Amino acid sequence: MTGAALLPLSVLVPWVLAASLALADGRRPLVAWVSVVGIGAGFACVMGLTFAVLRGGPVEMVAGGWPEGVGITLRADALGVTFAAVSVGVILASLVYEVLGGVRSRTFPALVAFMAAGLTGLFLTGDAFNFYVFFEISMTAAYALTGYREKDYQVRAAFIFAVINLLGSVIFLIAVAALYHVTGTLDMEVMARRAAGVQPSSIISIAVAVLVAFSLKLGLFPFHFWLPAVYVGSHPPVAAILSGALANIGGYGLLRFGADVLPRELELGTAAVLVLGTASIIYGALQAISRQETAEVLAYSAIGQAGYILVAIGIGGPVAYAAAVVYAVVNSLNKALLFLAAGGRGRLVGAAFAVGAFSVVGVPPAAGFVAKLAMFRASVEAGSVALTALIFLGGALSFVYAFQIYQRIYWTPEDGKRKAGPLPARILVGLLAVLILAAGLWPEPLLVLGEAAAGVLEGR
Amino acid sequence: MILILSLVIAVIFGSGAFLILQRDLFRVVVGIVLISNAANLFIISAGLTRGEPPIYPLPEGAPVADPLVQAMALTAIVISSSVAALLLSLVYRLYVAHDSVDIEDVSAAEAREAEALERGENPEREEEPRESPADVELREDTR
Repeated sequence: MTGAALLPLSVLVPWVLAASLALADGRRPLVAWVSVVGIGAGFACVMGLTFAVLRGGPVEMVAGGWPEGVGITLRADALGVTFAAVSVGVILASLVYEVLGGVRSRTFPALVAFMAAGLTGLFLTGDAFNFYVFFEISMTAAYALTGYREKDYQVRAAFIFAVINLLGSVIFLIAVAALYHVTGTLDMEVMARRAAGVQPSSIISIAVAVLVAFSLKLGLFPFHFWLPAVYVGSHPPVAAILSGALANIGGYGLLRFGADVLPRELELGTAAVLVLGTASIIYGALQAISRQETAEVLAYSAIGQAGYILVAIGIGGPVAYAAAVVYAVVNSLNKALLFLAAGGRGRLVGAAFAVGAFSVVGVPPAAGFVAKLAMFRASVEAGSVALTALIFLGGALSFVYAFQIYQRIYWTPEDGKRKAGPLPARILVGLLAVLILAAGLWPEPLLVLGEAAAGVLEGR
Repeated sequence: MILILSLVIAVIFGSGAFLILQRDLFRVVVGIVLISNAANLFIISAGLTRGEPPIYPLPEGAPVADPLVQAMALTAIVISSSVAALLLSLVYRLYVAHDSVDIEDVSAAEAREAEALERGENPEREEEPRESPADVELREDTR
């Protein structure tokens, strides 16, 4: 199939699936497996689209057959499809994990499908307001998913999560309205062109609002306070979805609105962005070392890892943007693997967790090595000794916390209290680990994706 | 007009922010609703133009009001009202479990639960069957 046919299909398939699943009881195995097949079909469409885009360049269509400039544009470029493919892949893996263990809530498959629908739409849209709408859809699904098991602490975590992130959404909405006021358009491509002709002083406050909104989503240092509470309360597959798929909104949003639409304003704010990123890396790693509970350690680790993405965006230039994309992709896979593995026990899961931990640290042959290497290249290219040292220090600190958890979970004697989980679920976690190893041994596709995505940002 | 609108938006946003900082969860929800509405007003004011209604066929020569901001505000209103409903249902769920909408009461009850867990009354927190709100109420009464 061609890209022009796959683009609407990628957005539509999870939508139709989500709407029909909302009517069915997700606890029934049949319904749960239908959701797996549906999300799998959506994933296949996104993968097909990725290949089409890498081969033939960006695919564009205007929804509803409207003339260009009037209707809402769907635009798939290398940056968007990369994030879409990773996010839907992580969602699919988490959904399969939960279905293998037995779904406990009737709404779970529908909510996951809504999340996939919102995320694919968000990564593949070319319209700023449409971006906000898809963003809200996936966030709303996330609020409901956080309270999945309906324990009190989960409901409270969901409430905090919803209130903080709604504030972020409102700030983003205000930024979109302000951008519309300044540029007179909602199409991101046209917006970027017109914003380049406006005095930066009139847009800089909008750029700050965008940075704050996405930093809240990503859980960067001064905006991170909601994040640990949410992850600690969450069920492992839900935490994997939140950390591996939903958090991509932050990285993608910063790249799209920062590097693509408002590049001059990003350049003006380089110092602030670098400071925030550095603070996140160090603060996240130190907090992670000091924590006891696995979910909490991983939550703080997520703050630190988000800092690397921000640092790469702050450095700027093709090499650094490619590093940011590669880092975001690898980080999603790592987080998905670690959260899923932390929910299980046994030798296979322990080995998978070790692979994930090595990947976070950046030890070859795990994929994390490729990401860290890309970061080193970017920092050397920038000619900054301090940044290179920072990335090394962050890696060393992550070594400490990653293996603290490993020791705590898998080196304690098996007391039989925690069951190991069904065998297929353990095999799934093992497969994720193999994928991360494979991506580290054969990094070519990952690097090509990163460079293609960075090419989109530099092309303007 | 611009001054009045921005003052109104600022006042609404400010009162919303004040309400979010309260301990009463219900007030937090009202605060979020106020802030969302401040954003809706902001959208409207981002495209504030005077002109003919933008209905096809368009009048020749005369300026036409910007229809896009209205569409955006409408969408944003729908989203904010649905999210407010979700928040209210979460608050209700906490109210049923704790008989209070004060965040301190809820946290205190959680701390008690965590202590009970550490004393080993219920080591299998993960495997515990899902409780219905009625069960929780019953346990609260007997405590």
